[in-house]
Amino acid sequence: MSTHSSETLVVRGACPQDCPDTCAFLYHVEDGKLVEVTGDPDHPMTRGGLCVKLKNFAEHHYNPDRLLYPMKRVGPKGSGMFERITWDEALATIKSKWTDIIAQYGTQAIMPHAYLGHQGTLNGLTAGDAFFNRLGSTVAEKTYCESGSSTAWIMTVGPTGGMDVESLAVSKYIIVWGMNMLNTNLHGWPFVLKAKAAGAKVVVIDPVRTRTAKQADWHIRIKPGTDAALALGMMNVIISENLYDHDYVEKYTLGFDQLKARAAEFPPERVSDITGIPVVDILTLAREYAGTQRSAIRQGVAVERCPGGGDAVRAITCLPALTGAWRYPGGGTIEMPIWEFPFKFDFMCRPDWIPPGTRVINELDLGAALTGAMPLDPPIKSLFVYNSNPVSQAPGASTIVEGLLREDLFMVCSELFITDTAKYADILLPATMQAEQLDIMVTWGHLYMHLNQPAIAPPGECVPNVELFRRLAKTMGFSDEHWDLDDWEMLRRSYDWDAPQMKGITLEALKDKGWMRLDVGLPGERAPHATGDFKTPSGKCEFASSLAGGGNFVVPVWRSGYEAMQPGTPVDPVPNYIPPAETTVPEGASAFPISLVSPKPHAFLNTQYANEPTQQRRQGEQIIVIHPVDAGPRSIEHGSYVRVFNERGAFEARAEVSEDVAPGLMMTNVGHWPGLNRSGTAVNSTTSTRHCNLGQAGTYSDNRVDVQRV
Amino acid sequence: MTHVVTGNCRGCRYTDCVASCPVSCFHANEVRVYINPAVCIDCSACIPACPVGAIVEEFDLPEAERHWLDINAREVERNPVLSSRMAPLPGADARRRELGF
Ligand code: SF4
Ligand code: SF4
Ligand code: SF4
Repeated sequence: MSTHSSETLVVRGACPQDCPDTCAFLYHVEDGKLVEVTGDPDHPMTRGGLCVKLKNFAEHHYNPDRLLYPMKRVGPKGSGMFERITWDEALATIKSKWTDIIAQYGTQAIMPHAYLGHQGTLNGLTAGDAFFNRLGSTVAEKTYCESGSSTAWIMTVGPTGGMDVESLAVSKYIIVWGMNMLNTNLHGWPFVLKAKAAGAKVVVIDPVRTRTAKQADWHIRIKPGTDAALALGMMNVIISENLYDHDYVEKYTLGFDQLKARAAEFPPERVSDITGIPVVDILTLAREYAGTQRSAIRQGVAVERCPGGGDAVRAITCLPALTGAWRYPGGGTIEMPIWEFPFKFDFMCRPDWIPPGTRVINELDLGAALTGAMPLDPPIKSLFVYNSNPVSQAPGASTIVEGLLREDLFMVCSELFITDTAKYADILLPATMQAEQLDIMVTWGHLYMHLNQPAIAPPGECVPNVELFRRLAKTMGFSDEHWDLDDWEMLRRSYDWDAPQMKGITLEALKDKGWMRLDVGLPGERAPHATGDFKTPSGKCEFASSLAGGGNFVVPVWRSGYEAMQPGTPVDPVPNYIPPAETTVPEGASAFPISLVSPKPHAFLNTQYANEPTQQRRQGEQIIVIHPVDAGPRSIEHGSYVRVFNERGAFEARAEVSEDVAPGLMMTNVGHWPGLNRSGTAVNSTTSTRHCNLGQAGTYSDNRVDVQRV
Repeated sequence: MTHVVTGNCRGCRYTDCVASCPVSCFHANEVRVYINPAVCIDCSACIPACPVGAIVEEFDLPEAERHWLDINAREVERNPVLSSRMAPLPGADARRRELGF
């Protein structure tokens, strides 16, 4: 903490959001009030700026709709009628309901539901894991996003950080694959611009002509869900034209012959039919990529959002080993550098407390689990939701709502606002916002560790998640030492501070500096796999994965540290193209002729900030972007209101007629609160609950719909 | 939506704004700069950087200043991208004082 004028106190913090940039914050506090949150000008990625989503972050803390006290439901389920109660009453109610449920059905009748509404070590993804493992609840698999990519990455290169985003500045050929960086990784973009200024070519692969695509040298429009075919097609060209790095392949990869055989099944003509990309472009892309050293692939999470998404990420992740791109700084691929951080998940999640044989339920199957469509013994009798908003963000929203309306379901929700999910709760608990709590931020987009220090007191009776679970543990009578640790001690135990990459990093140093870079090589110099050193069982980049033998798995961090009860479905050791279930169904063979993709919004962070009037103005209402050839016959004009529907559900939106999407493809944004939309629903009323082939990730982009004017 | 450079920029061309923009969306002519509305990502990083308060977020533009939207959109078509800071124009400091900053 330091004072920079007589009245303004400046406290260092970091962004809590599920965004790869994890910006370094400066909280400006006057008379105990947060007046402004700005980006740290000295941070190499934040560079003094935040983003459109967070630029009014200070005001968000004072939103009059904030949940400030525990509440109990006093009207029918979902009516939104609540009455203030004390923390004591809330905790006593939870204890008595859970005690009854446990007596009758056992502890597994209780299910937590969480995701990355907050990205902290104490208050984020894993905040409730230790508590629910201790309770013996059902283990919830939290695979909203990234889980498919995580499994694919681990199978191919192991838990390595891979390339870092800052090293893009020295790349000579950059492929941004399935990511609208200007919307969702904007602090990475200056490094792309720097490379571009030094002559690099920037290629964007995306079904939609996004802002990022418009800034690229070359936009390659691909059919959603066909990325694996393109990657295999590139390999086909690279291998058959002998453009690969023989020496690198021989020394540092496993299974080249198998990969070669697989790639041979994907000649450019076939790949063109699958992906919709002209043959000449596939040839050019493969030749340029293999022929330009210091080539980088920035992978986006969009790639996994289809039934074959896991194999697509594996195939893409094989490319830099084939061409030897890993030899150079600025070469390789960026997925999620999180694996460099020395977390102590055994402490954070306490998987040792999970009773053997405990079942796992995937959160994307929540609707089926609650409504009985998935046979469960015992049934779910209580749901505890924190850091997440499934009614808006999970697929199959209408089934979830049906489940949440069950009179016999005891639902508790810890929240900042009464969201579309929270309104179904029996008990609401008020959570703190980022300026009010201590945490070390987990990041999945760069190599800096950030300490977020509290700058203001929590309003009302809001508590950080870490304190919430301490209170629940005491309420349930748990007497383990774990629940007596304070926040600082928990942070101390959550990382291996002696790990080599933590050289010079201590909690004390972080208190002073706010953020520090891991000692894993400097930007522009780092080349972690110049001589192999992959973190796989073989130490090589595994074109043929040795982990495939165990079948499909979810990386334990996404499932409370639990290793057992993995899905285990068979996995081909070599990546393949697994067609989408819906997108590529030939016209006429589906009742729903148009594919719909639903990437992140510009002015909201998933659903967060979507209830702020200023952000609503910036984002505008729910829209769909539709191509003129699809709009015309339906009498849909620019600005028309339309109903988008399929057999699963419907939502309404305003149409934007544009060639930014291809014929047969529409785009909308996830994140608008269903309850604030015209139809009371949003895009996830139409998405399917199918899982990606790896890691149980969602398949939100494999969604066929129709549209009509209203 | 976008951000626009309004009248105050003319004649001073402090290009601190340009250095703060993560997406290089400023274009410049001899006397001032403009923002490309197709590229601007609305982060507002440039607003505090400008010493003469020339940059405004679209929906904060008063009615009398809304014509700057069209001017910015048009001028970026004719003028090159400026991606690093330039020396201010001679007389910039005088103009800044004149504008009351
Ligand atoms: S959402 Fe992302 S870009 Fe915006 S402030 Fe947070 S970390 Fe930075
Ligand atoms: S800093 Fe302000 S005055 Fe200077 S060039 Fe930018 S907009 Fe114009
Ligand atoms: S708002 Fe952000 S993106 Fe737009 S011009 Fe300013 S700095 Fe650039």
